Amino acid sequence: MTFRTRLLMIFTVAVAAAVGLVEWIVSGTTRDAFERVETKRINGLVAQFRREFHRRGDEIVRAVNAVAESDEVLSTALASDFAPYYGEASSIAQSNGLELMELVAGDGAIISSAEWPARFGYKEDWLSGTSGWTSRGAFLRREELPDGAALALVAVAEVTAGDRKLYVTGGQRIGREFLSSLVMPEGMRVLLYQDLSTTGAQFLDASGAVLDPGMFFPVIHEVQQQRRETTQTVGTGAAAEIVHALPLAGLDNGLLGILLVSSSRRELVEMEASLHSTGWMVAAGGILVGMLLSWWATARVTKPVRALAVSSEKVAAGNWAASVPVTSNDEMGQLARAFNRMTSELVAQRERLLQAERVAAWKELARRLAHELKNPLFPLQITVENMRRAHDSAPDQFEEVFREGTGTLLAELGSLKQIISRFSDFAKMPAPDLRPVDLNQLVSQAAKLFEPQLAAAHILLLTESDPNLGPIAGDADQLTRVLHNLILNAIDAMPRGGELTIRTIGQSERTTLEVSDTGQGLTPEECDRLFTPYYTTKTHGTGLGLAIVQSVVSDHKGRISVSSQPGKGTTFRIDLVAA
Amino acid sequence: MRHTWLHWLAFLSLIAACGSAATRPRYGGTLRVEIRESIETADPPQTGQGIADLASAFTITRWEGGRLAAYSANDDAPGGRPFLDSVEIQMARPFRDQSIDLEVGKADIIEIAPSEVRRIPAARKVWSTAPVRLLAVVFGPQITDNRLREALALSIDRAAIHNVILQRQGEITAALLPQWISGYAFLFPSATDLVRARTLTASLPVPLRTLSLSVEEITWRPVGDRIALNARDAGLAVNVSVRNPSADARLVEVRAISTEAWEALSGLASSLGLPQPPRAASAEGVYSGERMLLEGSRVIPLFHLPYVYEISPRVHGGPGITPLGAWRFENLWLEGIRP
Repeated sequence: MTFRTRLLMIFTVAVAAAVGLVEWIVSGTTRDAFERVETKRINGLVAQFRREFHRRGDEIVRAVNAVAESDEVLSTALASDFAPYYGEASSIAQSNGLELMELVAGDGAIISSAEWPARFGYKEDWLSGTSGWTSRGAFLRREELPDGAALALVAVAEVTAGDRKLYVTGGQRIGREFLSSLVMPEGMRVLLYQDLSTTGAQFLDASGAVLDPGMFFPVIHEVQQQRRETTQTVGTGAAAEIVHALPLAGLDNGLLGILLVSSSRRELVEMEASLHSTGWMVAAGGILVGMLLSWWATARVTKPVRALAVSSEKVAAGNWAASVPVTSNDEMGQLARAFNRMTSELVAQRERLLQAERVAAWKELARRLAHELKNPLFPLQITVENMRRAHDSAPDQFEEVFREGTGTLLAELGSLKQIISRFSDFAKMPAPDLRPVDLNQLVSQAAKLFEPQLAAAHILLLTESDPNLGPIAGDADQLTRVLHNLILNAIDAMPRGGELTIRTIGQSERTTLEVSDTGQGLTPEECDRLFTPYYTTKTHGTGLGLAIVQSVVSDHKGRISVSSQPGKGTTFRIDLVAA
Repeated sequence: MRHTWLHWLAFLSLIAACGSAATRPRYGGTLRVEIRESIETADPPQTGQGIADLASAFTITRWEGGRLAAYSANDDAPGGRPFLDSVEIQMARPFRDQSIDLEVGKADIIEIAPSEVRRIPAARKVWSTAPVRLLAVVFGPQITDNRLREALALSIDRAAIHNVILQRQGEITAALLPQWISGYAFLFPSATDLVRARTLTASLPVPLRTLSLSVEEITWRPVGDRIALNARDAGLAVNVSVRNPSADARLVEVRAISTEAWEALSGLASSLGLPQPPRAASAEGVYSGERMLLEGSRVIPLFHLPYVYEISPRVHGGPGITPLGAWRFENLWLEGIRP
């Protein structure tokens, strides 16, 4: 991944993270604000319910007391026979705006019932068993009605006429009509759960039966268990609602119903969805803009870096004269100037090094030439001096000395010629003729060629040829020479015998040739200079053998390396390009 | 003995009527009668009591089935021309409207509900028949389980209904024939037995514990509701509706058409859809026949009730209704019309 790409990604991630953070904060703040508003709305509705409940209770109490104080009821209380008053309650209830009305005799027997006229004569024992009704106010009660039980807000008044007593009960059903009287803000609803055990539970809202009662059961269950108000969120997603449950207790504190004030979370969910979609759009836009800006910014930032990288690659490729333009005075400008200084320094140092190396090479060449030429020259000088001395002092032996002397001269001149020929060969190393070459075959031929010599030197030859080795592109003669030089080198390194291992290793893109000996080994310093022309660790030799090897390997676009441990041996490793 | 006395009473009334008719002057005027019943036939009824009774002294002049009937005095009536010139009968008038019409002078004779009888001031003129109409529950053929019928019969608190809804009008009964005709109606037990009723209900499969009851006349809806309430105490669920032809049971009102026991029983059996009882001349025979009819509680007799009419003060010469409920308007005349 390029620096520019990385920088672009960092910018993009930063923009996305910033937009995400803002969206999260806005969403969270909105949710909190919404829930605060919802809580206020619910509390307001609960308070409205309480007010309405108390208002209706007061109205019922007033109406019932008014009925109890009426002449009609007094005459009923005084009557010896209640039968003629059987239909009384209906007209009284109607004229007093009450839905429920019963006139009950002192013994608890119903005289007249507006809500269930047929119940005359039936006993209302709960009335006669309690006293002080007038001060009790209105309360919730489960009322038996022809169409089933219902929750009602009722009040009771006692009428005493002489020694006779009569109860007046009146009230209103707490049902759909009551619920629809509550002013509902948008998105809110109020539901009534009536726990009327004999007829089963009923669930009502202002419009009738509740369609989705199941979602409220956990809240109802909790209120039934705890007998106190609770608030829960029910449902999921846009169908979720915040529900405040208010237990409705009767006269004996028995739970008769539960009022559920519910506020839909649809608005919040939709707002959150809107925020999310807006957030996503802003994020996408922000990311796009951020990418464009960061692309432009990174292009500006990385342009000098890229120029620096290109120049560095040129330097690495050998073009030490490469330089970068200095376009600013900031850190990048300083870096460019430093780079330019560095390359100019490198060029200067290379020139100095080349000169030094050139001088050293000439010195080494001169030393080697002097050394190599001095050895045959000394016998030549001695032979010529012997011949002159024999000519001057013993002419009779001159013929013999001359014969021997010329023989020696020719031999030494041959040596000189050989020396010069080798130097000439090195100088004239031809370009390789690259053809497919079977390296295993070259190894095999070399092993066969050196078999007697190795046996004489007590060296065990081990060849490990890779059977899957493919052909390589090489010059068979030059590679044979490389192999011969390395084998000769190994023989010289093992004067007291040892093991010579020649190994070929085939890989996908390259072929490796390893030649290992178990000789004295080399020091690291010797390893560093081993391929320097005319350098040798041996008492004889020109020091050109490994230099030639390196030259051939280099001409084959290969690489040679040496690893050695003193006392354990040396391994030459040549990596060649597969054909 | 009682029957003999009633026959003599009717005979003497007829002689007296004939006697007076011979000297009956023409007073004129129209008697306006309102009734609850709606007779929706193409022609005026020729038999039965009520409108059909007018045919002897009046001639039909206008008939609108279920709404109006107009009669004019028949100059050739067997007992002589009636005092009145005509009689106009409005049918299907609710009790409440009848009362209002009487109050404002638009009606001269109206029917009143039993529950209203006790509210009528003592000064008002009221004609009442003997308890000739029977209020009873009749089960349809689909109710085959005798236990259900018996449980309902035993659960009904007749006394409460009689005291309160009927305002003690008429008689509680468990017999088809009223006591004043048969003399043995008291032998049929009418007391409530909730324990027995609950036992019978408990022996019924749950699906059979539900019953629909049709009230054929809206006036008796409170009675039907009370029956349902009583039935609930016995463990039965009774759903009350008005004029429901597919109901399991019906609360009906039928009328005794004769003072003679067997004839009355036979008429009631016909009206209730029961088989005819074997003809019997003796009280024992009639009793045996009635027992047979009531066996199995196919019919639950509840009350014998009279017809009660409230009469305008301007109507004189009555009573114009016989104990059996027959109309005898030929002797009536209207105040202010008489010269």
